[in-house]
Amino acid sequence: MIIPPWLDDFLWTYQNLIHALGINGLLALSMYVVLAVGQLSLGQAAFMGLGAYSSALMTLKLKLPFFMVLPASCVVPVLFALAIGVPTLRLSGVYLAIATIGLGEVLRAVYLNVDYFGGALGLSGIPERAETWMIYGLLFAAVAILWLVGRSGVGRAMEAMREDETAAGVMGVNVGRYRMGALLASAVLAGLAGALGAHVSSFIGPNEYGFEPAVTILSYALLGGIGTPLAPVLGAWILTLLPELLRGFSDLRLVFNGVIIVLAVLFLPNGLLSWRMKRRGA
Amino acid sequence: MIRRHFTAGLVTTGLVGFGAASLPALAQAQTVPVGAIEILSGPAAAYGIAIKGGLDLALDEINQKGVLGGKKIALTVEDSAADKNQAINAARKLIGRDKVVAIIGPTLSNEMFAVGPVTNERKIPTIGTSTTANGITDIGPYIFRTSLPEADVVPVTFKKAQARGVKTVALMYANDDAFSKSGFDVMKAAAEKLGLNILAIESFGTKDTDFAAQLTKIKGLKPDAVAISALVEPVSGVLLQARQLGFGKETLFIGGNGSNSPKLGAIAGAAADGLIVGSPWFIGKPDALNQKFVAAFKAKYGKDPDQFAAQAYDCMFILAAAIDRAGAADSEKITAALAKTSYTGVMGPFTFTDHRDPASAEGVVVLEMRDGKFGIAP
Repeated sequence: MIIPPWLDDFLWTYQNLIHALGINGLLALSMYVVLAVGQLSLGQAAFMGLGAYSSALMTLKLKLPFFMVLPASCVVPVLFALAIGVPTLRLSGVYLAIATIGLGEVLRAVYLNVDYFGGALGLSGIPERAETWMIYGLLFAAVAILWLVGRSGVGRAMEAMREDETAAGVMGVNVGRYRMGALLASAVLAGLAGALGAHVSSFIGPNEYGFEPAVTILSYALLGGIGTPLAPVLGAWILTLLPELLRGFSDLRLVFNGVIIVLAVLFLPNGLLSWRMKRRGA
Repeated sequence: MIRRHFTAGLVTTGLVGFGAASLPALAQAQTVPVGAIEILSGPAAAYGIAIKGGLDLALDEINQKGVLGGKKIALTVEDSAADKNQAINAARKLIGRDKVVAIIGPTLSNEMFAVGPVTNERKIPTIGTSTTANGITDIGPYIFRTSLPEADVVPVTFKKAQARGVKTVALMYANDDAFSKSGFDVMKAAAEKLGLNILAIESFGTKDTDFAAQLTKIKGLKPDAVAISALVEPVSGVLLQARQLGFGKETLFIGGNGSNSPKLGAIAGAAADGLIVGSPWFIGKPDALNQKFVAAFKAKYGKDPDQFAAQAYDCMFILAAAIDRAGAADSEKITAALAKTSYTGVMGPFTFTDHRDPASAEGVVVLEMRDGKFGIAP
């Protein structure tokens, strides 16, 4: 395949942005799966950090090839999700949000204080192993799977839980199992995103997985909406693209960025894509 | 590749053929594009804005004469907002779209660890003016820095302390940012090398406001000196609380690079009196070059320059001189010319080591805080 030089140049210039769009899309989905069952669980940044650190250490210290590292990067976040799932899933609403943010901060403190994780200096010199096609392949697969799940009976149960958990439970939905399933799916998606992110930017540090990113990931889903899996991805893309599109405004960049988000939230409270999935017989 | 050369050929032919008609295009070719990536927004923007001020001031002087026989340097400064991804995006935009031949920055060592591999891969010389962490120039052969690493500055400060009779020291540092942590590593190594007895090592968070537990423990051990590696805000907090807890003149406080800011006097006031800190530059350095720089900076911006502005000011001249010596706006030639830099600026005489770090720490002066202002330590 011959790529014309201008396109080659364009792709090189925006390579990091193209990667970030895909990775943030995965993170938005990891938020979507918990919001879809009505859980305000904000552990995505923590899961992403676990995926990033465990995969970076596997690459740097164990010298494992990336095709092994990438699937293995889900293991630690999933184990962590299983461990915290039992106690935290008894919580709901803002209490769950606070507990999960707290867990993220605990992990950040661990990265900072354990020398094996590089402390405040983070881990640098991570080779660029993740390719664009891997990121978008995973994103496409995740959207497709979540779409199919959403259209099935499982999706119907999820939506019922989102609207009224007690009623859904009474109607025979195994609420506890769905909550745990959503948390595990969230951990897998965020872990993959973390591993991919670590292997495209050569450096990771503890502050990339603290409170601020947790809120950023939440805002992807809030801006896009949670009617379909595509909506949060769109939200992530807009919030990732805006700062780069507004580069021309230099000093006023953050002002414009903020104004656009405020306007979107004011006039589209259900997200940019608020339509719901069609189901047979619905 | 072939296609690109062909296009370049067409453009050149066009220029020759319609020389008079295509003046704007000609003017384009008469500039040398250079990029800079600095923090211009967010909580750490003060550093980037100081650096941009220094670069712009130097550029005004350089472009009066031009480089490569009259070409002007066109500097594009991109904001990184202290964010790793934005810093990488900025670097890729500067190289891919603006076709810069060299990059100054980014501001933080963390950002350099992310940006360096990208610019190094494209063989664009990249010069950090404020990156003091260990291992920066290990990224690759196109990564330079003009800022003295802490490893060169801190030992000078500690030697001064030892000369004043300091034998035992307690170390305090913020353990949650790269800058403070790597400064602490250097302090520990310097203290060990000089044979100082380290009585205690205490850490805190950059955003902490209460240091009583750490300070009380240290007070009980009665060290001759307390060395602090942190940004200026927590250092001010530590000093204020130390005075409340009864630390007096008998304890010498030693700061790292983070304490080297006029803000220390502004926040901590009299509590900071007596603190010593090593600095690669000092506003009161009497040589004519420095005085001219300080006066010009004040005239242009209405405020005093700080060390970041001074480092950036020198760096712009070092790069301009390297472009001149390279004889062409070509990254590879500029890299080779940079390595042979020999320049005397406001920081003093400057050359690079074989490893692209500053060669000499001769310019380092030890400063002492007195009545809210830094002066040269006696």
